[in-house]
Amino acid sequence: MERRMNQVPLFSSAGELANMVITSNLIDVALAKIFELQRGQAALPCSVQPMVYDPTPNEPNRTIVVFAPSPDSTQYPLPQGGDLVPYPDFDFLCTKECPSVSINGAALELFESLKNHLSVLKTELIARDGQLIITGHSLGGSVASLFTLYLLDSMNKKSKCRPICITFGSPLIGDFGLQHSQWNSFFLHVVSNKDPVPGLFLTSSHSQTTAYKPFGTYLLCSELGCACYDDSDLILKLLTVISSEVAGGLLQVVDYGEILRNLKKRAICKGRWLAVERFADPFSAGIVMELETIGIDWTKHNIDIRRMEAEARSLAMKTKAFDAKKLNDIKKYMALLEWYKKRSKDAGKGYYDCFKNGEFKRDIRIGEFMGHLNAYWEDMVAQAERKPQKEGASFRTSWLFAGTTYRRMVEPLDIAVFYKDGKRDYIKKARSQHYKLLEQWYEEAAKPTTREELDSKKQKVSVLLTEDSCFWAHLEEAILSCKSLTNANSTPELRESSGNDLVKFGEYVMEQIENYAVSPEIFLKDSSFMKWWGEYKAYITSPSNPCSSRFIEFIDFMKTGRYGVYGRSEVAA
Amino acid sequence: MVELKKLEVCKQVPFPPKSTAGLNLIYNNNKVPMPSNKSHCIARCFKITQKENLQREKMGETVGKLIGLNDEVIHPAATLAMEAHNSPSKPFLVKKIKIRHDHSSVVVLAFSGSMLPDDWFGQPPFGKTKIDTGKFPSLTSLNDGGDAVVNGSFLRRFNDVLDKLSHAKELKEATEKKRQVVFAGYSSGGPIAILATLYFLEKQTLSPRCLTFGSPLVGDRIFGHALRREGWSDYFTHFVMKYDIIPRIMLSPSSTEHEQILNYFKSKFDRKNINPAPPSGFYLTVMGNASSVASYEACHLMGCRNPSLDIIKSFIELSPYRPSGTYVFCTGNGNLVVVKNPNAVLQILIHCAELGESDAAEVEKRSLDEHSAYPSELKESLEMQAVVSLDGGPATATLNDLGLSPQAMLCLQAAEEFENRRSRNLEKIRKYMQKIEVELEKLRKYKENAQISRLGYYDSFKLQKVDDDFNANVSRLELAEIWDEIKEMLKEFELPDDFEKNPEFIELGKIYRRLVEPLDIANFYRHSKDKETGAYVIGGGPRPKRYRFIQRWLEHHEKKPFGSRSESLFWADVEQLGIDIKKKGYLQEIKDRIHQLERNLIAWIVDRSLDDDVLLEHSTFVQWWTDLPLECKSESDPIKNLIRGKADTFIAKE
Repeated sequence: MERRMNQVPLFSSAGELANMVITSNLIDVALAKIFELQRGQAALPCSVQPMVYDPTPNEPNRTIVVFAPSPDSTQYPLPQGGDLVPYPDFDFLCTKECPSVSINGAALELFESLKNHLSVLKTELIARDGQLIITGHSLGGSVASLFTLYLLDSMNKKSKCRPICITFGSPLIGDFGLQHSQWNSFFLHVVSNKDPVPGLFLTSSHSQTTAYKPFGTYLLCSELGCACYDDSDLILKLLTVISSEVAGGLLQVVDYGEILRNLKKRAICKGRWLAVERFADPFSAGIVMELETIGIDWTKHNIDIRRMEAEARSLAMKTKAFDAKKLNDIKKYMALLEWYKKRSKDAGKGYYDCFKNGEFKRDIRIGEFMGHLNAYWEDMVAQAERKPQKEGASFRTSWLFAGTTYRRMVEPLDIAVFYKDGKRDYIKKARSQHYKLLEQWYEEAAKPTTREELDSKKQKVSVLLTEDSCFWAHLEEAILSCKSLTNANSTPELRESSGNDLVKFGEYVMEQIENYAVSPEIFLKDSSFMKWWGEYKAYITSPSNPCSSRFIEFIDFMKTGRYGVYGRSEVAA
Repeated sequence: MVELKKLEVCKQVPFPPKSTAGLNLIYNNNKVPMPSNKSHCIARCFKITQKENLQREKMGETVGKLIGLNDEVIHPAATLAMEAHNSPSKPFLVKKIKIRHDHSSVVVLAFSGSMLPDDWFGQPPFGKTKIDTGKFPSLTSLNDGGDAVVNGSFLRRFNDVLDKLSHAKELKEATEKKRQVVFAGYSSGGPIAILATLYFLEKQTLSPRCLTFGSPLVGDRIFGHALRREGWSDYFTHFVMKYDIIPRIMLSPSSTEHEQILNYFKSKFDRKNINPAPPSGFYLTVMGNASSVASYEACHLMGCRNPSLDIIKSFIELSPYRPSGTYVFCTGNGNLVVVKNPNAVLQILIHCAELGESDAAEVEKRSLDEHSAYPSELKESLEMQAVVSLDGGPATATLNDLGLSPQAMLCLQAAEEFENRRSRNLEKIRKYMQKIEVELEKLRKYKENAQISRLGYYDSFKLQKVDDDFNANVSRLELAEIWDEIKEMLKEFELPDDFEKNPEFIELGKIYRRLVEPLDIANFYRHSKDKETGAYVIGGGPRPKRYRFIQRWLEHHEKKPFGSRSESLFWADVEQLGIDIKKKGYLQEIKDRIHQLERNLIAWIVDRSLDDDVLLEHSTFVQWWTDLPLECKSESDPIKNLIRGKADTFIAKE
């Protein structure tokens, strides 16, 4: 307790955010159109198609799309309609934590029945400029959410339409979370504590029900007021509480128009001094007041305020100033490594070997820089992985170039540490997941090298980093193979397999050289590579096995000393 | 844990009398840290600090002392302001007030008002317009925030009286006799008084004060930020009755409700109709919209991290107007609450006028009646002098008079915490200064050593050959890290408003920019980044924003036009000219740029804003310039002399 008091006070803004939404006219606009459509649909009973309200002279930049299924039984989902159906069309929502996507059967059925129409509508809406409000009540809201996701997946940086999805009393639609995604900020779900529908699938005895996950911001309200939450676990809990407390079940129809009118009035009334426990900090006081406002007794439902506070505290750290500082830090560490590389080259050895042998005093600090860089990039990769595929991809491309430079610069050092400890088989046993993903994403994004690019690489190869960040792991394995080959105690089988491995390595190196993908630093006098060559050249297995031309080329390249001019611009001329 | 004394107080339990010992005990036992900054609103609703005790003892302070103006001026100013408001035939009324105790005189000038809707709201929804920076050069952001936004109708009305005002003989006389001038305004006269005060503060011909009574809001956040940055905020005092609708009206978009309210006052003031029927139903609309603004700001104060906030905000249009200056809230029972923290003012404006137990219709009526109650209310309050300042200590009892809800108390606490955070950030930056000095010193040494090769540090750095060059690069990155952090904090208003006016930081920034920006330019052209992003300096181009902002601080400080202090861009001009000449040859446009560069060089060398090491014989500049065809040079001889002069001093030193 003592320690907490010295910390910077935190606040909970769930009530203020909700108040801002309620007092603005955003949800009035959406709700008014839902009512308008519902009234009109009495005349057109079979239409379940969404209604598009085009911009008007009063609202020239606003398009509203309303999903209000016809007022028969499909409007209200049934408790037993909670089946989750796998839906591969929405695989773009997959994240690491959620490798496949399942969607509520009833919502999906409606969505599928409209699919042809919606795909035309989507293309038309994306081309529009300005605000796009997609809304619906109950099951109509579920389809509105699905359509918004479908739309978001097709949007790109050029799209000018700015969507928001507002649902009223809609049930959960699927098992995907999206908490860490930017997409969740496009969803606002209004839920009354008297409405049994939103938590419908959470309390029924269906075995699949536990898989449902909310995403987006929930505006929960009671007669007393409202609060906005975006913490998925908390929302799930609150929805469960609400649905367990609503008596009467499905027959009760909640009038969101009336609720909204009441909340607007509430917003300019003084809140009551509720039975607030004696809290020392504003965060707990705020949370408890907000929960009481939406009709939740926090003591009864075991809501962990400390966990919420810890989360808020970690989020509060992430300011723009903090990000700017971190990014500059990373630049600094990379500059330090670049200089280390240059110095090592001047010493005739290459930075891989300098670091592995730990000859300079400064090598010790290099380990520290590596630590910082690794921590930063592991975090970046983890963040990208948590986003849905498409969004993750655009997030990645913004820094993939920097990430690739980092991988090529730092992974050799990790390899050096690994082999220094006398271990074997880095790539299979020890390669960090984030390196693998950085490489995979780079390969996916990379285009085949053109003739001109190869020429320019030829010119610049001396200042480039070795492209395959695992080059040194291959070399270390080759050195070990070479030892087996030359060791008198080795079995003939081992010798043979080692010989074969070495041939493969030679071919690999030659391929790298042909593509100007390897830094000429490997040919420095004291480098491990040259030492390996020094040992290996005496034992090159005579061409008893048929040898590839590339291997012969490699032996020739090394023996004739052509490597001496590799990377010099004269060679290109 | 701390007993929640405050909570009890707000439950209508009277505050215990001045038994400071007991409170001190609570303080000591719980080790509540003393807030380090004295000038911020404190509405600590869940803790009791020692400051409160001090505050209670200081209750003897008068409004006049708190706002820096003699108490005897306030009530006559209010009366005059109301009189002027209802005298539309004259643009302003003037009155000289004799101060009893020192026999000095204060000249009060009060502006007339108008209740015509067109004089309140121009273009719907908010009638906003960019301020005229010709008349008001300081009312702008020194980073990316742009110029201040004000209500266009009020600005127009100010411009209409400006001519008469500038020629007012009373002002001339007051200036000659060194009398204090007070611009006053009631209702729509308030904005005119505010703009007039600012106008003379900008011109520096007068040092006026401003008093308003029930004035609507005039400017946006940048407007208030600029006032505080310039240190003018304390010259403005706004009196606001607890329920008066007019000070809140600008937080709501123009609507039929507005017209109803204005029409009501118009017929009331015109005296054509002594008891016009008051409109009804407007309160929910106006206060609802105002509440939306207050909640939006509270989200920021409370550090809301819900990403939906920005999306939702982009779908709704909130009023841009925000309070600035000192606010004095009249609680209606004779007490006055003085508040300076602009965020706290906004929250109190909305929360103290919330509906309570009493009937909504009654509050609605009060919100109209109180607008004309200033002179009588102030007369009583000034006699009582039951004044509490929120700045410097929580004033629970008086806050209770304002009838704030627990949620409002949390908002006030968040407003206070926001100021504390800004002070903490400032402390953090102060700690960085030493580090900045250390890195700058390293670079100065680097620069000095680089002279020996007669190459200069710009070219050495660009070549990146030896350890020193590398170390300079690390210093550059270390410094970029610090200044980028400052830049981001300023953009988010996370530093005190007067940060960009602080001579210490302006000077440090100047040194930093002159010494280090050339290295950024060298790095830029070393990696030929111009091929990817275009030239170093183009509009919002690749030039790091930290330099652009620091340059604006200096230009603003020296009252020079923006872009006039670009000596640190010398190398970028040289590099880009070299590239463009290769591309285009010696076009007239290129020749003009060369001439400009030559003239700049001479001026900057003379005023020492550019170091003369650019004249070293092996530097890129000297080599490039020497090779230029003679017909392209306009200042051939003076520059030749400068180069020769530099070489001579070098020889002399050796």
